[in-house]
Amino acid sequence: MSWEFGAAVALIISSAIIGLPIGHAMLASSVFYLLLQGQDMSIAFEQMLTGLYGSYVLLAIPLFIFAADLMNVGSLSDRLLDFCRALVGRFRGGLGHVNVVSSLIFSGMSGSAIADAVGMGRIIINLMTKDGKYPGAYAGAITAASAIIGPIIPPSIPMVLYALVSDTSIGFLFLGGVVPGLILGVLLMAMNAWQARIHDYPVEDPVPLREMPRITLRAVPALLMPVILLVGIYGGITTPTEAAALAALYAFLVSTVFYRSVTLRMAYQTVRQSAKSTAAVGFLIAGALAFNYVVTIEQVPNVIRGALGETELTRWSFLLMVNAMLLLLGCLLEANAILLVIVPIFLPTAVALGVDPVHFGVIVVVNTMIGLATPPYGLLLFVVTSITRSPIRDTIRHLLPFLAIMIAGLAIITFLPELVLWLPRLYGYNG
Amino acid sequence: QEKPTLRLSSVVSENDIRAEAFAEIAEAVSDSFDMQVFNGATLVAQGSEMTSIQRGNLEMGLIAPQTIAEQIPAWSIVTSAYLFSDAAHLKATFDSDVGEELNAMAADAGIHVLAPVYFGTRQVNLAPEKEIMKPEDLSGITMRMPGGDAWQFLGEAIGANPTPLAYAEVYTALQTGAIDGQDNPLPNDYNMKFYEVTSQIVLTGHLIGFDVLAISKELWDGFTPEQQETLQSAVDAAIAKSTQRHLDREAELVQFFKDEGLKVYEPDRIAFRDFAQKKYLESEFAASWPDGMVDRINALAE
Amino acid sequence: MTTPSRPIRTLRGLAEAVPAILLATMFLCFIIQVFMRYVMNSPVGWTVEICVIAWLWILLWGQSVSAEESDEIRFDIVYGSARPAVRRWFRVAFSVVLVGIYAWSLPALWDFVTFMKIQKTSYLDIRFNWVYSIALVFSVVSILRYAWIFWGALSGRDTGQSSIEDIGRKDFSE
Ligand code: NA
Ligand code: NA
Repeated sequence: MSWEFGAAVALIISSAIIGLPIGHAMLASSVFYLLLQGQDMSIAFEQMLTGLYGSYVLLAIPLFIFAADLMNVGSLSDRLLDFCRALVGRFRGGLGHVNVVSSLIFSGMSGSAIADAVGMGRIIINLMTKDGKYPGAYAGAITAASAIIGPIIPPSIPMVLYALVSDTSIGFLFLGGVVPGLILGVLLMAMNAWQARIHDYPVEDPVPLREMPRITLRAVPALLMPVILLVGIYGGITTPTEAAALAALYAFLVSTVFYRSVTLRMAYQTVRQSAKSTAAVGFLIAGALAFNYVVTIEQVPNVIRGALGETELTRWSFLLMVNAMLLLLGCLLEANAILLVIVPIFLPTAVALGVDPVHFGVIVVVNTMIGLATPPYGLLLFVVTSITRSPIRDTIRHLLPFLAIMIAGLAIITFLPELVLWLPRLYGYNG
Repeated sequence: QEKPTLRLSSVVSENDIRAEAFAEIAEAVSDSFDMQVFNGATLVAQGSEMTSIQRGNLEMGLIAPQTIAEQIPAWSIVTSAYLFSDAAHLKATFDSDVGEELNAMAADAGIHVLAPVYFGTRQVNLAPEKEIMKPEDLSGITMRMPGGDAWQFLGEAIGANPTPLAYAEVYTALQTGAIDGQDNPLPNDYNMKFYEVTSQIVLTGHLIGFDVLAISKELWDGFTPEQQETLQSAVDAAIAKSTQRHLDREAELVQFFKDEGLKVYEPDRIAFRDFAQKKYLESEFAASWPDGMVDRINALAE
Repeated sequence: MTTPSRPIRTLRGLAEAVPAILLATMFLCFIIQVFMRYVMNSPVGWTVEICVIAWLWILLWGQSVSAEESDEIRFDIVYGSARPAVRRWFRVAFSVVLVGIYAWSLPALWDFVTFMKIQKTSYLDIRFNWVYSIALVFSVVSILRYAWIFWGALSGRDTGQSSIEDIGRKDFSE
């Protein structure tokens, strides 16, 4: 690795710390590297352009964002919440359970943790904090924790990114996330039950059972969404990328034609908002593509592989090390950036040590998603505190037990690859 | 004097036979060149190798002839179905005056061709059990072909309904029935385990698959004759070996797929060939082909 | 903040309509693609090409022409908690970095984009200099935007409060 590389990394870090948007920091530093090297400075832009142009799978991202935005604008989210409330609201800490279960179902339609937190999260936080039932910080904490599950259960934008950098099948990655997502959901509910006992959180008035059919019926269109996606992908109708469009079409039809809750004007606002979000995420990817060239030309993966080779790692110690490192990075870095820059560096070693790429992908995604909620730099943390308006310090305090149990869950997923690979194998995956 | 740095960008995976060949070349020329191989399209994006060389930002590339044809339409002739009969015919053509002509066009665009790199003969691989003897039998069969209109046209030229799809998604798509089939050389069918989700391989042999190993023309012209000789002979040795290994592998795999319970058979290749050549000659592609070149290439077949 | 004047709002509305229309187009193309393959059994390929071009333009347009500071993802632990006076100098520093680097590389970028007329897209035969021209728009507009930020910070008119007060309400997605 050259001194020019060191200078480029230093520029990324320093300019990002003083507030230059991360995408610009990566792109500008790549140009800076080429300038120092005396190479053609257009290479950074070329890498960005050809990388974006050639990555067809990335097109799922804008469509998954659009589908989730439509779900939130239409009343699908509200109906879903009513259903979850009737289902698990009757237990101690009921609304906490509702929070987790609604996230589990919503995650079957949304590929994004942030979309879950700003959509479903906002509604349920209001429910939880109304009449002072739960402290805002606790509502925020469990919302952030449960939103982590969003991209672990398919569909998933981070998994699309992982597939891009690893050449793994999106179809199998999606299947690999199902069981781990459910496990994490159960763990969160257990933690919520425990916290509810400690803090003596209230029980909701049980929804009468005779109400159930009506509430369920109202929620059916929302509940059907994950089914539509699965049938689309695994029934041979669409590719995983196209399934995102099918999901958006479904959300659009349900909210405009069926519920009539979305006007054309609202639909336009939604497209506009989705395009904005798309550009923000996409530009991070663009910056990472430019910087990846620098990482490749400096042969960084080889250097790290060489260094790892000398330490005689076993498969488990390697996974342990990667997990620890990703959790650490997750406190500081943006999740997409981690996926795009770090995965290509470690995947070759993982494969050489006999780690299955789908298993590795699920581990990495779970890990980076936990990173979204870890202080100091966690977007989920910022999102929920901006909704609850409670001090970030209190939110973090309430979040810690949930993070602890999530990390325990991550350990389980890491050391029992069968949990991840069982479903993909059932569907023909050979790993 | 410092050794010239040669960075080679290719899309092949690290454990591919061709990756070994590139490593052998790098090793063989190590006294004269610092050759660095970047496989898996990690250095430049797939399809950008040629422009990167032209702009002086890359020294060597494994370039698909379809990419060259985007700039030099005449090159689309070597991407057409049933042009070469086998790997030997491919090599003979590039060694002949036809090859000289094609290479001269590439040289005008700033690319010096070192060798065509054979990677297998494309065969049709289908999930449905329907027997395929003529191109008409493929009518209505949705077949995944690589993206881009040259590839899609190849699918039409053998009578199928071509559709583009990311390579990593082909397995699932075959299994779910989103597509009926795909076309690839047998080693790819093996590596991607397509044989698990398909029922038959039709040995259409519709395209002799190859890429072009190329180096910057400007760079090449600046080498001493000794340097040129060193590089060229290392390339020739490694690629000849790689070609033979591909051929052996393909022969082996026919038996393997049969043992796996697939039907592997040869259709009426003459019918396919006539159908495809007619399609090509009627297409816009043929308009750019040098007069008489098809006949000259045909004449080189043994 | 003062409310922008009417022409400014109209321009902003138009600027934001571009990525919105492109996203809607992308959505439609995907639907057509599935419909043609699954229902009509007659797959098309040109839809993919429109989608990747739209994707490229959505992001580069969206992060330059129609970007607001709150749309940009930044690392805001230090930046967000800095005193306004300090943040002002942060803004001076990072805008100098960005304007300097993008301006310096602009001729090279121009050279690359114009060179790419040598290739055409596969289905629609659009020359790549047109496809990639958005990178020039992106670079020029970014230079102007950040020069404006530089000037605002230097003259003390803007401390970047607007870029942090919305933290968390940005609806970007992981
Ligand atoms: Na939740
Ligand atoms: Na999800």
